[in-house]
Amino acid sequence: MTELILIIAFFVMLVMGVPVAFCIGLATMLALLTSIDPMPALTTIAQRMAGGINSFALLAIPLFIFSGNLMSSGGIAQRLINFARSFMCALPGGLALVNVISCVLFGAISGSAIAATSAVGGVMVPAMEEDNYDRGFSAAVTATAATTGLLIPPSNILIVYAVSSGGVSIAALFVGGYLPGMLVALCLMAVCAVHAKQNGLHGTGQVSAVAVWRAFLQAAPSLLLIVIVIGGIIGGVFTATEAGAIAVIYALALSMFVYREITVAQLPDILVKATETTAIVMLLVGTSIAMSWLLAFENVPVTVAEALLSVSDNPLILLLLINLALLVVGSFMDMTPAVLIFTPIFLPVAVQLGMSPLHFGIMMVLNLSIGLCTPPVGSVLFVSCAVAKTSIEKMIKPLMPMYAAMIVALALVTYVPAFSEALPRFFGLYE
Amino acid sequence: MVTKLELALRGLLAALMGTLVLAVSWQVISRYALSAPSVWTEELARFLLIWIGVLGASYAYRARVHLAIDLLPRKLGGRRGAGLEAVNASLVGVFAAAVMMFGGGRLVMITWQLNQISPALGLPMAVVYSVVPLSGALLLLFACLRFVAERAIALDSTGEAPR
Repeated sequence: MTELILIIAFFVMLVMGVPVAFCIGLATMLALLTSIDPMPALTTIAQRMAGGINSFALLAIPLFIFSGNLMSSGGIAQRLINFARSFMCALPGGLALVNVISCVLFGAISGSAIAATSAVGGVMVPAMEEDNYDRGFSAAVTATAATTGLLIPPSNILIVYAVSSGGVSIAALFVGGYLPGMLVALCLMAVCAVHAKQNGLHGTGQVSAVAVWRAFLQAAPSLLLIVIVIGGIIGGVFTATEAGAIAVIYALALSMFVYREITVAQLPDILVKATETTAIVMLLVGTSIAMSWLLAFENVPVTVAEALLSVSDNPLILLLLINLALLVVGSFMDMTPAVLIFTPIFLPVAVQLGMSPLHFGIMMVLNLSIGLCTPPVGSVLFVSCAVAKTSIEKMIKPLMPMYAAMIVALALVTYVPAFSEALPRFFGLYE
Repeated sequence: MVTKLELALRGLLAALMGTLVLAVSWQVISRYALSAPSVWTEELARFLLIWIGVLGASYAYRARVHLAIDLLPRKLGGRRGAGLEAVNASLVGVFAAAVMMFGGGRLVMITWQLNQISPALGLPMAVVYSVVPLSGALLLLFACLRFVAERAIALDSTGEAPR
């Protein structure tokens, strides 16, 4: 009964256009009111909301959001794109491939797919149009490729997963995300190559060692950030949260003193923008943690686990079912609440099937990142559509093979644990 | 009046965020450069995050940047869309009043009575949590303003209301 009210209230308000975080909070409130007295119910939700945000690991998120904003307005994206362009431009479908690689590089210095979409898309879509690429296709490439940044560290969503799974190391998750992120990028590049071949989109310009070197030198200070942040986390020099502060200081110094594209006068605005984004994420985190607590209170994880295990005891089939469920969840729910609400439900089942929490987290994030590019709720899809000034309808057809590519990557990551676990093991961060 | 409030909120949030960055940076510096790890920066930064998240939530509502699916209100358009938005604003108002002001207010009261003190800074937790009812009051105000504005459009008898 409580669960039914929760689901119905959530969906009705979602469709009405109530902001998602409030849909989650209000649905939790209504459901809890049917089950316990109003006084403790309301106090408990307020307490879970505020208490849920009270975490040192989550502190990394505003820092990576801030550094990401600095990097998208500080000319760093442009230099990464120039670098990717210098060695990829001559290949067939060159600019589409440049778009994918730029998204991967940008994802490797920032923690958000939305930042990558607007920073890379803003430059690449007009450039691709000059080379006769269809706008819908360019927007589709940007959206899907930007999601690789969710797997490639630093990644805000992997931090959220670390908090929600209760104890998977952020360093291990970060390192574990590299190969799956690159796998998705490779699958997308294959789609781009086929598209280019079919549409006669040739490469432009020639690759010269001098130009590559020059572009590399320009991009090197940005790329150095990867070495400092990730190197510092892997080497145990600092925590992910501290790495976030380092990233802010480095990005600030780089864009103010080296690239000279941000002035002191612009800082307050960038700060407020970062605060806004942080508040949006944190309200989602707070209300989702309240909803997740309610589900645990109502014993939902146990019920779901029993139901799933009664369907089959074959891990292959159960993982398929979990993935299908998450694909549906991902298309209706933003990623942060999806991770916070569904990790406690599905992780115990996955562990019972012999999957490691590290592997499950990477799989879940890859799965949900597909949902970010699908309507009706797909924040990356909408941002990409707006940046490219095109329509969702024009993006859907070119998106189809890209969804397929991402699902191929998802299947590989689901059934081959080595993609997620080999690197963390190599660096001694795992087991 | 409301614009002034918004500007003050904006300034406060930017200051909190700036302090957060400095606090975490100081933690790294104090550990490596001064080899005297600071004990209070972590706690301070966590409390700042609560304030930024909860207070920023009402600011973000005012700035209309919260993630929402506005497909239906946009499809309805004009007066009917505004009518739906007025209903949505009142729902947000209910959340602000019930969970944040009432629930959050009781949370502050209980932690005050239990005299919960944070371990490193010695700050009463009631002060930290007071941002919940505070932001709830702001959110309620912003939701009421939104409700009034949308209702005016919905009831506008001239028909073609500008949106």
